[in-house]
Amino acid sequence: MAVLAGETPDMVPIVPVLDGYFAPKVLGRASDECWLNGGCLADCLAAALERFGYDGAVAEMGLGPQPSVLGCPVEVEGNDVPLVVENIIGGREDLDRLELHDPWAGGKMEPVKRLIGSVGARAVVLGTVRSPFEYAATVRGLIEFMTDFYRDSEFVRDLIEACKPATLAVGRALAQAGVDALVIKDSFASSSMISPAHYEEFAYPAEAEAIGELKTEVPVILHICRNSMPILPRMARTGAAVLEIDAPVDLAAAMEAVEGRVVIKGNIDAVAVIEKGSRESVEQAVLSAIAAARGRGPFILSTGDSIPISAPEDNVAALVEFGRRHGKYQGAEPWS
Amino acid sequence: MELIEQFQQAIVNGDADRGADLAEAMVTEAEVTPDEIMDSLARAMEVVGGRYETGEYFIPEMLRSADAVERSLAILEPYLFKRRHDQAGVVVMGTVKGDIHNIGKNIIISALRASGYEVHDLGVNVSTSKFINKVKEVDADLLLLSAFTTSTKPALVDVIKALEAEGLREKVKVVSGGASHSAELAGEVGVDGFASDVKSTLAVCRRLMDQRRE
Ligand code: B12
Repeated sequence: MAVLAGETPDMVPIVPVLDGYFAPKVLGRASDECWLNGGCLADCLAAALERFGYDGAVAEMGLGPQPSVLGCPVEVEGNDVPLVVENIIGGREDLDRLELHDPWAGGKMEPVKRLIGSVGARAVVLGTVRSPFEYAATVRGLIEFMTDFYRDSEFVRDLIEACKPATLAVGRALAQAGVDALVIKDSFASSSMISPAHYEEFAYPAEAEAIGELKTEVPVILHICRNSMPILPRMARTGAAVLEIDAPVDLAAAMEAVEGRVVIKGNIDAVAVIEKGSRESVEQAVLSAIAAARGRGPFILSTGDSIPISAPEDNVAALVEFGRRHGKYQGAEPWS
Repeated sequence: MELIEQFQQAIVNGDADRGADLAEAMVTEAEVTPDEIMDSLARAMEVVGGRYETGEYFIPEMLRSADAVERSLAILEPYLFKRRHDQAGVVVMGTVKGDIHNIGKNIIISALRASGYEVHDLGVNVSTSKFINKVKEVDADLLLLSAFTTSTKPALVDVIKALEAEGLREKVKVVSGGASHSAELAGEVGVDGFASDVKSTLAVCRRLMDQRRE
């Protein structure tokens, strides 16, 4: 919290993207059980925080904030991730099929409150919501959506606009439920997927608008995974307090690009290091991240993206252990 | 510029309207052989894949070209493939169970179609039995398995085992690929070929088809 308030803490805070993908494993539950039953997910997230002792939990409401909030059917089976089973937008004529469901309906915010109740006193709790661009891609189907960029750019813009209320409604509901900050996921806006020019044209406007409105309630963290280097300076101008960056980005260069104006959160490789690496490679990755960030501005140690369920628990524990061991600030200058 | 070169350029630029017009023109007026057309289409998709590898193109640009391929093939197909044996080969392709990544798969499918293959796309999250049934139904030469996350290794192994159990393993050549797929993984699973981009995929498929014909 000190970092979000603009202060220098005495230790590098550690908030990995340990969310609904990995958390079920901690209590030996199946993914589908947790995605469908938010109470189970809340308990797993709390248990993970308890077990590993990092500084912030990532609240997910089960399938609530998924595209089902816009009337898109989603299913999940066993340890698979949730799948959208029908892309409800086949074209412009379907725009009125988008109906915004109340994020509070059916007790969907209860798990978030439950998580805050159990860990809120000792850790920050982050709520997760998708950007209008990401909702649009999901209700249309990613391939059709990106083909539309050249086929009908006006439709793309209208669809994104039509999805914005979902981002705002879920964001506000989470803020009301009491989260300390919101993570806005805009994964498809990544320069690993679309050009910086398309980011500027389609993703940025709605992203910045949504952040502008939501940050009046709580600070906002903007997540764009894979390569975000070309658009980082722009992301830093969305009004987000924190930018979550992924492993392909050079951490030192990223921190220099934003010149300390926003907090950088990242960027240990969730797959190569946490899922597939050894204890030694986790230490190495933590050491180089902390070294890259030192002296360059406010920093939160994190994975670059969600930790997969197949990652070993020992590597998550090692991330926190080495983060604590190597993450002490010691100089007179802030962040040194 | 010759008609065929303009056509290739239109596909690279992802200009579907122009590609369709030129396809029409080639079929009706010009003396362009089916082989020349197939060559230009395949080369166009190789250029597109190359531009993606070098960072000049992003995913929407690749999808735009894939769309242009589909549009012009709809016009060209009756002219190009009069008999089954005009086809480069029959392919069944899908993303394996537990995996929903489909962008790379769809790009490969367009490139294969552009190279004269008859491709049956089974979509994503495809069960082993669906693969097997389709291979039997269409008497496939090649089975292409997309597996993007490494945790789908058991699904790949399952397909290979089922092919063996059904006595199909010698009949159909299996190729795997995908974003985090490595040659090492492909080797462990025991497929016949592996590729990581458009160009190498087309080369592997050509090589395996040649082997089959021998
Ligand atoms: C887009 C994307 C998604 C989208 C997919 C949308 C869609 N409709 O496809 C969404 C957001 C849904 C998604 C979800 C997940 N993803 Co994902 N995703 C990506 C991403 C960013 C791009 C993939 C892509 O489309 N690339 C563009 C295409 C053109 O390239 P390509 O896929 O490599 O395909 C080329 C070649 O591989 C080849 N090819 C493709 N298929 C085939 C098949 C054959 C037979 C052959 C020969 C060749 C071939 O040709 C293509 C042409 O160049 C990659 C990261 C990356 N940069 O690759 C991660 C990535 C693939 N995802 C990953 C993961 C882990 C996930 C998730 C589990 C969630 C998570 N924790 O991040 C879920 C899994 C869902 C599931 N069960 O499948 C990991 C996989 C890591 C691993 N080692 O297992 C990657 C590598 C990212 C990472 N964290 O490192 N993802």
